[in-house]
Amino acid sequence: MDYKSGICNFCGTGCGNFLKITDGRINGVYSSRNHPVSKGRLCVRGWHIHEWLMTDQRIASPMIRIDGSLKNVSYEEAVNFMMEKMKDNKPEETGFLASPRSSNENNYLFMKLARSVFKTNNITLDSESGHRASLNVLSDGAGFAGMTGSLEEIGKTGFILIVGSDITKMNPIIGSEIHKAQLAGTRVVTICSRSSQMAKLSNTHLQIKPGTKNTILAALAKAVISEGGEDADFINGSTEGFEKFAQTVCDLDPEMVFSLTGIEYAAIKEVAKELCSSESAMAFWSTGISGLEQETVSYIYNLFLLSGKIGKENCGVNPVAGIANLQGGYDMGAAPDLLTGFRKLDNSGSVSEFEKAWGVELNREPGRDIYELLADSNSGLKALVVADHDEGIIRYEKEIDGLEFVAYFGAYDNPFIKYADVVFPVAALIEDDGTYTNTERRVQLSQKRIEPFENVLPGWKLFSMIASKASMDWKYSSAEDVFNEITSLTPEYSGLSYPKLSGSMGIQWPCDDSNPEGLKRLDANAMKRKFRFTPVSGDFAAPSATPEYPFLLMRGQGEHFWHQNNIMKKSYIPKREYNATLLVYPKGYVEICKEDAQKLQVREHWTVKVVSASGSMDVSVKVSEDVRPGTAYVPYFIREMITEFLLEHKSYTVKCEDAIIPVRIERV
Amino acid sequence: MYLIEKSNVMKLAEELAKSYELYGPVTDKETGQVFFSRVDNASEISLSAELPALPPKSVVFPQIERIMKYKYDRDAKKAEIEADYDKSSKAIFGMRPCDLTGLIVLDRFFLGQEFVDEVYREHRKRMFIVSNTCVVPFKQCFCVCTDSGPAADEGYDLNLTEIGDMYLVEAGSEKGKALAEKLGLKAAGDEYVALKKEVVDKSISLFEKVATDNKAWISRVMNRVTTGFIKEEVWEYIGKQCFECGACTFVCPTCSCFNVEDHNRFDGSTDRLRTWDSCSFEGYTKMAGDHNPRHPVEDRRNKRFFCKLSYSQSKKYLRPGCVGCGRCQWVCPGDIGLPNVVTYIRREITE
Repeated sequence: MDYKSGICNFCGTGCGNFLKITDGRINGVYSSRNHPVSKGRLCVRGWHIHEWLMTDQRIASPMIRIDGSLKNVSYEEAVNFMMEKMKDNKPEETGFLASPRSSNENNYLFMKLARSVFKTNNITLDSESGHRASLNVLSDGAGFAGMTGSLEEIGKTGFILIVGSDITKMNPIIGSEIHKAQLAGTRVVTICSRSSQMAKLSNTHLQIKPGTKNTILAALAKAVISEGGEDADFINGSTEGFEKFAQTVCDLDPEMVFSLTGIEYAAIKEVAKELCSSESAMAFWSTGISGLEQETVSYIYNLFLLSGKIGKENCGVNPVAGIANLQGGYDMGAAPDLLTGFRKLDNSGSVSEFEKAWGVELNREPGRDIYELLADSNSGLKALVVADHDEGIIRYEKEIDGLEFVAYFGAYDNPFIKYADVVFPVAALIEDDGTYTNTERRVQLSQKRIEPFENVLPGWKLFSMIASKASMDWKYSSAEDVFNEITSLTPEYSGLSYPKLSGSMGIQWPCDDSNPEGLKRLDANAMKRKFRFTPVSGDFAAPSATPEYPFLLMRGQGEHFWHQNNIMKKSYIPKREYNATLLVYPKGYVEICKEDAQKLQVREHWTVKVVSASGSMDVSVKVSEDVRPGTAYVPYFIREMITEFLLEHKSYTVKCEDAIIPVRIERV
Repeated sequence: MYLIEKSNVMKLAEELAKSYELYGPVTDKETGQVFFSRVDNASEISLSAELPALPPKSVVFPQIERIMKYKYDRDAKKAEIEADYDKSSKAIFGMRPCDLTGLIVLDRFFLGQEFVDEVYREHRKRMFIVSNTCVVPFKQCFCVCTDSGPAADEGYDLNLTEIGDMYLVEAGSEKGKALAEKLGLKAAGDEYVALKKEVVDKSISLFEKVATDNKAWISRVMNRVTTGFIKEEVWEYIGKQCFECGACTFVCPTCSCFNVEDHNRFDGSTDRLRTWDSCSFEGYTKMAGDHNPRHPVEDRRNKRFFCKLSYSQSKKYLRPGCVGCGRCQWVCPGDIGLPNVVTYIRREITE
């Protein structure tokens, strides 16, 4: 039989698939009917994963840069070159940029390399903005750094709240599951400033003014309390910090809520009533590149906590990861201040555990975020080591170009290579075993199905080779050996093993002595501590339109162009779809409604100048019914749009989807 | 008509494996999912397996396949072109009647009078087909509504029908007859005509109510689709639920849309590939200058149902484009598999 089971590697949903392998080459994909998450479905990306995996746009040999150009060398030479170049760098001058697409094993080794060989804690998970914020809230509030619910329970929940995010485009199979639940009777409410497909498929769409998610969520919490809908027993018995949160939201004036959000308080009360009267409820929001800021996540979490919809059957506070192993990346400690299992680096107990296991002394000072280092011209960053860069667009290109040394590890041809002094090819997905942790903490084993392209090395072999140059003896003879080390150092993973994962369709962590088969959902009854209401500032200031800048600009991303994703560009059909958009809107587009187009006297396709206080860009007009008057929307997939316009707005990288830019639109 | 004991039926497959690449329904051990796949050994095939998730369409029209190869020599400014595609002889064993009907529809498209597709012809040319009557329908099936089952009546070399502990073997071609004779199968008496009818009638009686209910409705819906009397709102309701994944097209035994792409190989040669495509994709109908006759998603969605359920299309295939296998229902992230669309339109008619 030519079909072998596998795991989709695009978004964080972690759908099951079958890969068609004929004569050692991949030439097809099929959906997996019995997979608990995808149940026979795949999205447009998943249906074309073979096109990406069969590409010949690969890195075929290690390369080093000599006199400005890259030259093929042996692994041995490339490793020597790298160690020689980096030998004088101090830990604080060195940075590691990890990838949410790499397997747990490769991310773990990348983190181990940074910490044990180069003694640096400057390690950042790329393309993540938002997921960390979500994990911070959940870890602080519930002691659980992951989705508290389970995707399998979507069909059984009574009420679903979706905040922001075009989920049917970003995580289509989760969107599908929500849609099917809605058809079967679940109430679905979407809070979104744009009429996304999910909004259209919802029972209620609260089309708020841009930048007011906090306000409406706080108003929902107020409505729950003022209607007496809070779960008092649960709050008294199992939580702390309610009073302070209640104070903050109860001070809200309904009039002000209306003027900020554009939504009548009565409609908000109606939704609050639905939430409270439902037996069970779930919240979803996207993390990854267009996630929400921490404060917004806090409001969602607190709202569900006060209505008692957490840690119970069919309930969940659920961040949705945009990239295959974003959750796994954090589980593996790819962050300046984390070890595996979201344990803080300052917890010296954990650090000494790693020191003992690794046989080295570690730097106990948390590192700094790579993008923060790049943005800070006085940071002293000199060398950067990058793995599997995911986006076609590289932020801080100038700063990266100015570094003394850049090393790149990856399977595919990548724009980062332009800046690299040494390039290492690594075996790709299905050329080596590896585990990936999806957005609901499901750890899944993706097995080796074909031999590596041009005999490139698997991660464990390559990273061990580098460590051995630093006189460290890493004794791995397979990815499984690496996984066994991970499970020995990560309590949540301690009950997992390759034999157990093989054929299991994944196990959700924590998998340990108390949960040998993993845990579907956080269980409030088994909690060893109380839930905590997480802090909120009570600041509801929203960006407002002014006569000078009368439009509020939102941004998002589409299904095909997916932040100019490198791997999408190696497919055929999704790339064709991307190109079809690009052909018509070579400079990108801004969506405005018909009335505004008339006011501005512009038509579909006309070029306009979008001007903000910090910059401007020329884009085409797309007249759309999905946006309200006074609001504008740009899906960002054009390089210039990002590097020359959006990045000039410093809030953009910090506040993600919540970043709203007041602009004016001029005819050109 | 011949007879073969159930315990010996795989001898047919073993015999075929001697001169053909053998394909048949195989159950994946790990997940229980059934595929119609190439096998190394006849014993991998299961005649009693449920309808394969992946239709045998992929044998004659693979998801992605090389249709030619070329290499361009920059210095000599010369290109070498080679018609390098799959030319193996194939035997299809245990194909269900709906899928066989799908294959006949594909034949009418790829081997039609106006145009003959050489690559497809090569897959089909020496093909040996053994079909398998569905003595019990599967849960999602509605072939009784689309005249494509539960028993095949054309297109096979041999057709198997399970009757008691025997298989009735009907030859549909000289090739089929020759194989039956070669294996020395004993002839079946005339009483087997009635016995087979009994088995098929029993099977028809076992279909889910929704299938038998829909029987006349499919033709009424075809009438509606053809005459265009379906309200915009119904198409909008359907279009809104389309996630534009293309799955319905990929799993459909009769969908034949494809795209052509060049794949540059590491060794400097280029493979020209044919890949599955779908009318639900925006880029599929996009033309230069941003003209798109099917811009809104509901237009693209209803195009597919026009293709499956309108007379003008049926004239091309000499039958409806839908063969009633129900696979689109399995894979749809929305709720718009073909049977549901029929239900939505039907609801509109009755209202």
